[in-house]
Amino acid sequence: MGWLSRLIRRNRLERELDAELAHHVSEDARRLVAEGAPPGEARRRALARFGGIEPIKEQARDARGTRWIDDLSRDVRHAFRMMRRSPVFTLAAVVSLAIGIGANAAIFSVSDALMMRRLNVTRPDELYFLNRDGYTSPNYRFSFPGYARMQAALPDIPFAAAGSSTRVQLDRENGSELAIGQLVTGNWFENLGVKAAAGRVMTADDAPGLGAQRVAVLSHDFWTREFGADPRAVGSSVRVNGIALTIIGVTAEGFTGLEVGSPVDLWAPVTLQDDLRLRGNASTDDDDDSKPWITRDGVKWLTIVARVPASVPVGSGAARIRGFWQHEIEHDASTIQDAARRDFRLREHVELVAGARGLSDLRERFSEPLVILMITVAAVLLIACANLASLLLARSTARGREFALRLSLGAGRGRVVRQLLAESLTLACLGGAAGIGLAILGGHALLAMASSGTRAIPLDLPVDWRLVGFTAAVTIVTGMLFGLAPAFRASRPSLTDPLKAGGRVVAAERSSGPFGFGKILIAVQVALSFALLVGALLFLRTFDNLVSADTGFDRSAVLIARFDPMLSGVTEAQLPDLYRRLLDRARQIPGVTSAALALTGPATRSARVSAILVDKEPMRVGNESEAREEYATPDFFKSIGAPLLRGRTFSADDDARRPKVAVVNEMFAKHFFGDRDPIGHHLGYGPADVEIVGVVRDVRVDGPKNVVPAMVYYPLAQNPGEYARNLFARVTGPIAPAEAALRGAVLDANRNLAVQEVTTLGDLNERLVSSDRLISRLTGIFGLLAVGVACLGLYGTVAYSVVRRTNEIGVRMALGATRGGVGWLVLRETLALVIAGGVLGVVIVWPLLTYLSSLLYGVSPHDPIALSAAAAGLVAAGALAGAIPAWRASRVDPLTALRAD
Amino acid sequence: MGDRPDLDLLQGTLDMLILKVLAREPLHGYAIAQEIGRISRALLQVPQGSLYPALHRLENRGLLSAAWTETDTGRAAKVYRLTRQGRARLEREVADWRRLSEAIQLILQTE
Repeated sequence: MGWLSRLIRRNRLERELDAELAHHVSEDARRLVAEGAPPGEARRRALARFGGIEPIKEQARDARGTRWIDDLSRDVRHAFRMMRRSPVFTLAAVVSLAIGIGANAAIFSVSDALMMRRLNVTRPDELYFLNRDGYTSPNYRFSFPGYARMQAALPDIPFAAAGSSTRVQLDRENGSELAIGQLVTGNWFENLGVKAAAGRVMTADDAPGLGAQRVAVLSHDFWTREFGADPRAVGSSVRVNGIALTIIGVTAEGFTGLEVGSPVDLWAPVTLQDDLRLRGNASTDDDDDSKPWITRDGVKWLTIVARVPASVPVGSGAARIRGFWQHEIEHDASTIQDAARRDFRLREHVELVAGARGLSDLRERFSEPLVILMITVAAVLLIACANLASLLLARSTARGREFALRLSLGAGRGRVVRQLLAESLTLACLGGAAGIGLAILGGHALLAMASSGTRAIPLDLPVDWRLVGFTAAVTIVTGMLFGLAPAFRASRPSLTDPLKAGGRVVAAERSSGPFGFGKILIAVQVALSFALLVGALLFLRTFDNLVSADTGFDRSAVLIARFDPMLSGVTEAQLPDLYRRLLDRARQIPGVTSAALALTGPATRSARVSAILVDKEPMRVGNESEAREEYATPDFFKSIGAPLLRGRTFSADDDARRPKVAVVNEMFAKHFFGDRDPIGHHLGYGPADVEIVGVVRDVRVDGPKNVVPAMVYYPLAQNPGEYARNLFARVTGPIAPAEAALRGAVLDANRNLAVQEVTTLGDLNERLVSSDRLISRLTGIFGLLAVGVACLGLYGTVAYSVVRRTNEIGVRMALGATRGGVGWLVLRETLALVIAGGVLGVVIVWPLLTYLSSLLYGVSPHDPIALSAAAAGLVAAGALAGAIPAWRASRVDPLTALRAD
Repeated sequence: MGDRPDLDLLQGTLDMLILKVLAREPLHGYAIAQEIGRISRALLQVPQGSLYPALHRLENRGLLSAAWTETDTGRAAKVYRLTRQGRARLEREVADWRRLSEAIQLILQTE
């Protein structure tokens, strides 16, 4: 750190340098006096022999090696002086940079959190998830007995398992609320290396077998949010899904489970699955899922995590795990009679998936939108760069005299370049600092916008060295990008012209001159903003098409209230009474014309899929046999507005005493019966014993972009074990009061039902396209911003050129040009720039648009409406930007213009 | 501005002269200038001041060390002395020059 101490001693070194040089001169003068020269004359000669003191001091400072620091601080101070001199420019520059850099940093922080961040556990790189590969999509579900057998067979590899995180209902003094719970094996925390922040975490002893300890562990976030981080919470009891659990501890801060973007609030032992009545997310083959799941080999519901320690080579660990399951699968397949189904089962093989970054279905959902947004914000930053470069270029030409003066006084060219770069980097750093602030706000806004629910996506976005490093890198690159060209331009002006003439001469615009390069910069900005505008319009139309697409159900007039009677401890025997009360209360609401209950409902992201066979046909293989199941009350179709096509729907008479009936959708009819009429045929699970009585129109249950699955609707009354979780009410008249009344009706029917939400089917449907909404909104915002910035740049450059050409305009007017002619001259130039930029934009964007096809819906990537609207918008904005300078040019008074300067 | 190449040539020579002069005894700046003027006679016409950047550069590289001491005239002066590194550098440079001038000598003799 030699230079640092030299820097600190700088003042002393300066004094020493002065003393040393003074000593030399006085010694020389003394000698000359000794040789007979008069003292004054001697000193003069000594100084002359010495040479110029100041340049020598400069060189000596150079030699000292701290020069760059001195220069830097001087340059930065100079930069701040220049900024103070033009506060409007500085503000505009810093704001546009802050937006550009901040938007990039915001997208970075979200992508980093979602895609890159490693789990907050001990040595995350040792963790692997087990995937049942060989099917169309990844399958992470295993049965508890299978898990236990594997752990026994491979004792040197520690495994742990967890069910998927599901909603649980917590009953506390001040009411019921919903939280996210997860069932885990006793060694879960131990294996992941997660410690307790208070109390203790669960151990294998807490889950020895069925009817085990009724304990729970809270996440640090949940403990803080709901219990105010009260240490007394540990040891207290909390009612979860109707049974009392003792809170034994709180996990260390920062651990929220292994699924990114879906944090767990509370963990309980897997052995409590049946007691807690948690029956979500399992795949069941030929087994009874009403029995406790940990005893069932056919109920697959656990995600298994393996910790392959460094002492076990990953390859051999994976091979042994695969080998174990291969044996299991073959044994299982040998019991299947049907050859095709046996072959299908044998397709499965278990693979390890790296677990360091956890699992997340958000990743897949948002990887494409994030790429689109990254490109968009990068383009916005580029536009801001080009914009600043053109403004600085104009300014550096205006400062030509200053630089010519400095160059002719002996400043090196590098020195001038460095000073200008310091100015642009200082601007960039101010923009970057503000950008970090914007990134924090923007990151959270992004998570809120991207959410498909009412709450923002719960991702932690820390301000860490990764975000700061990224922002700093972007800032420096940005500063260089917009600073270099003007700096080099400015460092080689003709030395004499600006000094001599001071702009008095009517200089012809050189094509290679600053305005030529400035024109290119403007055209680039226009081209980029055209591209962004086209993209934004395409996404806008896509989103518009998506929300207005026919979904097969009525979206605006149907309310849905969501709850789960199973979680509030309602028994099967109490269900019919609860249903009756719910429907009665709902129908009493003014404006409600019909009400119904259903298990899943459309657009709720929940579904039940089963393998189904029809008539006497053999069971089809794999996905071919699958259909969605829905259980509903008779008015369901009427309530959601799904029309009956053939046959009949259920009636109140279809109860437990009558033969079983079902209604299917068009897709089911086509898939299982082809051209035949399905009515009168049968479907079922063992023997096909349910008669199909009607066909309803297809409903897009998974959103407008996804194909409609084959669906079967059963009457709730014939399936008494099913818990309806959704209440639908069709409303005429205003929605808002009915919405509040429906929430009240549910609570009125049963105080203990925690209502997850009440909303419209339209809202649910829109959430299914939340990533499209995100793209559409953000590209729209950034597209408009880009056009705004480009127009500002256009305005600035044209306005500046008008000022510069005041003399020329004066001459033209003196020679007889009309005001309109002069105005048109300027406007024409502006429009020529816009059109050139637009053409450039079309050339750039045309081949790239094809890549958007997969993200668009109901609109061609080369949609003529979007393209022409973008073009028209740009020309209009360009004309507006050019109109003011054009008007000002037409106001030039020839006499003043010629006398000016 | 346009005098960079000359300076480079000069710099090398000047550096070697300084090292050579200081190899005999520690001296302050003015004395070094006097010595150089004496040795090089009028061959090397440099402004005396340009000595100082060279001194500072050599000091910065650790070839010279400097200390403020009282001179015989009773005034404080910055006295430079050769470091071990500086002595090694001088020997190497001298050897290099010898080889180069021998080579040039040879070339001139082959005529």
